Amino acid sequence: MPFKNFYIILFILFFAASSNQHSGNAKQNIELLTEQTSYVAGENVSLQFKGKATASTYLFCANSYGSIIVSPKTENTTFSFNLPQSFAIKTGIINWRLVDDSIIKTGNIEILPQSNIKAIETYIGPPSIEAGGTDYTMLVTIPTDPLDNPLADSTKVQVKHQFINKNYSNDIVMQNGIAYRNIYSEKEDGRIIISTECLELNSKEYDVNVVPAIPTNFEIDYNRIHEYADGNQITTFSTSELKDRYGNTVSDGTFVNFYLTNSKGYKSSTSGLTINGIAKAKFLHPDHEERYDVKAYVEGMAESNTIAIFYKKAIGDFEIHFSEDKRTITVGPIESFMNQRVPDGLNVSLKIFKNDVLDHKMIKETREGFATFKLNKDRFPKGQYNFEFYAAGTTKSFSTITYE
Amino acid sequence: MLLEQQNPLVPLPMSNINKNIIRTALMISYIILIGLVVYGISSIYSYLNTGADRSKMLHTEVKKVEQYLPQMQWQPLTNEGRPMDQQTLKAIETDYLDAWYVKQVAYKTNTTEGITDYYTESSRENLYNIIQLNTESNTTIDATTLSHNPKLDFFSEDGQLAVLTDYDVVEYKRVFKDNKLIFDATETSDYRVTFLLEDGFWRIRHMVKLESRPFENQTTQDTLKLNIKGINYYPQATAWDMYGNNFNTDTITKDFKIIKSANLNSIRVFIPYESFGKANVDTTKLDQVKQLLDLAKAEDLKVLITLFDFYGDYSVLDWTLTQQHAKKVVTALKDHDALLGWDIKNEPNLDFESRGKSLVTAWLDKMIDLIKSVDNNHPVTIGWSNIESGDILKDKLDFISFHYYESLDDLSEAYTNLKSKIKNKPIVITEYGMSSYSGFWKPFGPSEDDQAEYHKKIQSTFAEEDIPFMSWTLYDFSKIPKEVVGRLPWRKNVQKHFGFINKNGAKKASFKYISSKE
Repeated sequence: MPFKNFYIILFILFFAASSNQHSGNAKQNIELLTEQTSYVAGENVSLQFKGKATASTYLFCANSYGSIIVSPKTENTTFSFNLPQSFAIKTGIINWRLVDDSIIKTGNIEILPQSNIKAIETYIGPPSIEAGGTDYTMLVTIPTDPLDNPLADSTKVQVKHQFINKNYSNDIVMQNGIAYRNIYSEKEDGRIIISTECLELNSKEYDVNVVPAIPTNFEIDYNRIHEYADGNQITTFSTSELKDRYGNTVSDGTFVNFYLTNSKGYKSSTSGLTINGIAKAKFLHPDHEERYDVKAYVEGMAESNTIAIFYKKAIGDFEIHFSEDKRTITVGPIESFMNQRVPDGLNVSLKIFKNDVLDHKMIKETREGFATFKLNKDRFPKGQYNFEFYAAGTTKSFSTITYE
Repeated sequence: MLLEQQNPLVPLPMSNINKNIIRTALMISYIILIGLVVYGISSIYSYLNTGADRSKMLHTEVKKVEQYLPQMQWQPLTNEGRPMDQQTLKAIETDYLDAWYVKQVAYKTNTTEGITDYYTESSRENLYNIIQLNTESNTTIDATTLSHNPKLDFFSEDGQLAVLTDYDVVEYKRVFKDNKLIFDATETSDYRVTFLLEDGFWRIRHMVKLESRPFENQTTQDTLKLNIKGINYYPQATAWDMYGNNFNTDTITKDFKIIKSANLNSIRVFIPYESFGKANVDTTKLDQVKQLLDLAKAEDLKVLITLFDFYGDYSVLDWTLTQQHAKKVVTALKDHDALLGWDIKNEPNLDFESRGKSLVTAWLDKMIDLIKSVDNNHPVTIGWSNIESGDILKDKLDFISFHYYESLDDLSEAYTNLKSKIKNKPIVITEYGMSSYSGFWKPFGPSEDDQAEYHKKIQSTFAEEDIPFMSWTLYDFSKIPKEVVGRLPWRKNVQKHFGFINKNGAKKASFKYISSKE
């Protein structure tokens, strides 16, 4: 009897051990049948395994963008997984794991881009560059296949560009998923027309402006109706044609500042923008004899020579007439270089001193050659005053004017 | 009979009430209607008053919230094209990590929130396709990336296009189908990413996985060099809250002298995760920990630092923040002479029930890797709350530690049992003790003599089995934060009386058995 028990136990143990081993083997015996590990995007990707799939068998797949799990299709002695089309079209490595409670097998599949092209994404910049051959713009292309994957590295891309009368064509190769080329300017300004071609697909046309480089030093000159300091006419300053160091006329709208220094060292300025390389600026004649030194600048880039300009005295002596009560004062007639009455608007100033201290200053403009000052009783009461008149560089003084 | 003779033409009081009800109803509905009309007009008015906000157009209102901070190590800049500046590189880094973050959120929830900001129009289709596939198969993927090593390959002259290759991206994924975890795995991959600057965002135009290999981690083992005879330490007045304004070097110096003279050689302290600023570690508090280590060094005590106190989230998307925290803390303290080792988390096995054992274990596993990658000189352990958990992650830890509050009679056997499972690694009891509370909330609790008896007995077991130990704790506390044991007074009061020294500073009977004799 003890033997019988012993055998029963032995039998049970054997059975348990073998069945245990069996279930263990079911998972271990799974073999990958698919040998292909490299696919072109768009192909059906399917992994076939030998063995039996259970309800908890899944294939976990991770592509470049994310992860999914796929359920098996069971056939007699095999089972397979079909990767969804929208998942298998992206290039890169798909790493997969066969899972049944635990990870049974792992592996990688590579998805390669198609060798035909759908689009060339082109990025170009900066959109304008400087003439001279040192500045450049960069063309970056991302050729993609019909499934929006970048084409394989070392795919050739042709970059064509045209400038003035010359056509260029260069081959570049894709690296890191892009292909790029620097396009340098030449000595002339103008516009570069650029296009690309990859696998016989042509891009549209792009253009890049080549703007002139910064201006070089230039000359200035002036032009005026007459040389008299009449405070009325206008002198026009103009530059020579501003050019860069390659002889290209600078862009329209280049700002030129003219600085005028008078005989006392005071500065005034006037400015203009270039059109066809020439900038013009206007300046009102002074109303008294004066000399100016004029120099122009394109700030921070270029400067002109210095020219001197003289204005002759135009207005000579003038008379001053006091009314009976001395409270209305008429200055004039003020006459210009041909004894003509000065144009309206010449400034005449009157300084009134009381006890040698400046009490008041009045400015009047001439009208038909005369300027009139009226001094109010309330403002200037009884007393003694000194008057000083000034117009067009001439000063006239009257002392001890007494008001009753 | 009289009632039946009522004239039917005389209105019954009933119909009067009805009229009033109708009136009231009419009035109320009138008021409600007017209210609705006013509300409608005012909301139209306020809608028309909101315009294109300039700050919104420029995305300046997007607040920088730290939600995704994996280890990011840029390789030296040797890119083609335009030279890169740090500010643009930082902008690319931020948007790149945000792109990963919104992707992780999208796959976790199968929604498309935020994707449009970080992927260009054609590349977001790829994400939408995967979300659709996963929605159909009821799959969700809870994932994070733990480290990135990008190298800038190309930056275009006009600063609008950049290409980088991100090497050794460590991705951890938990895959759920029908809300059931199927498996979790860690992968290491290289990605090549093409960015376009659009609307102020560096958006991903192409992403290609160049290489993928199983995650391998070679961590070195560190040995525990000390025969630990220690104690868990909090100052008496500021238990569980000893940093910040409460930090007092005088108290600590005094306490360390007591500990040293009691023939102990080490202490265990805690660094709370949240009050230390999470991923943005509070440097003031970190300096205080350094001061504590300096004081310990002065007394020749070694310090076991327990990280992540009061942390309990563990969600995969939170991992990068906890890793950032650990990296900063460990980097700051790793070279200190007084440092004994790192206890990654106090009693994480108590979170198994609420957070899931596999999630918590995976978090701990990755945290061990991180701490060892930052500091390969100090041993790492996890303070399990019971001896049964002692063999979890035993192969990765440098020494095993657990807490023992069960019956002393079983200790010897349980310890021998655990020792048989763990070969060649020291096993330390980093918490044990007995409360001497006996009062209103626990009338028949142990007395101080019982506590002394307990310590006497456990010390003899330690001596017999040669067990390294750290007791709980030096002081009886007067104040216990509610986060520790909750608000219930019978728990709080028990917790207050584990000390060897009572509230008044007098040594209890148990103090005699605070350490071994020799």
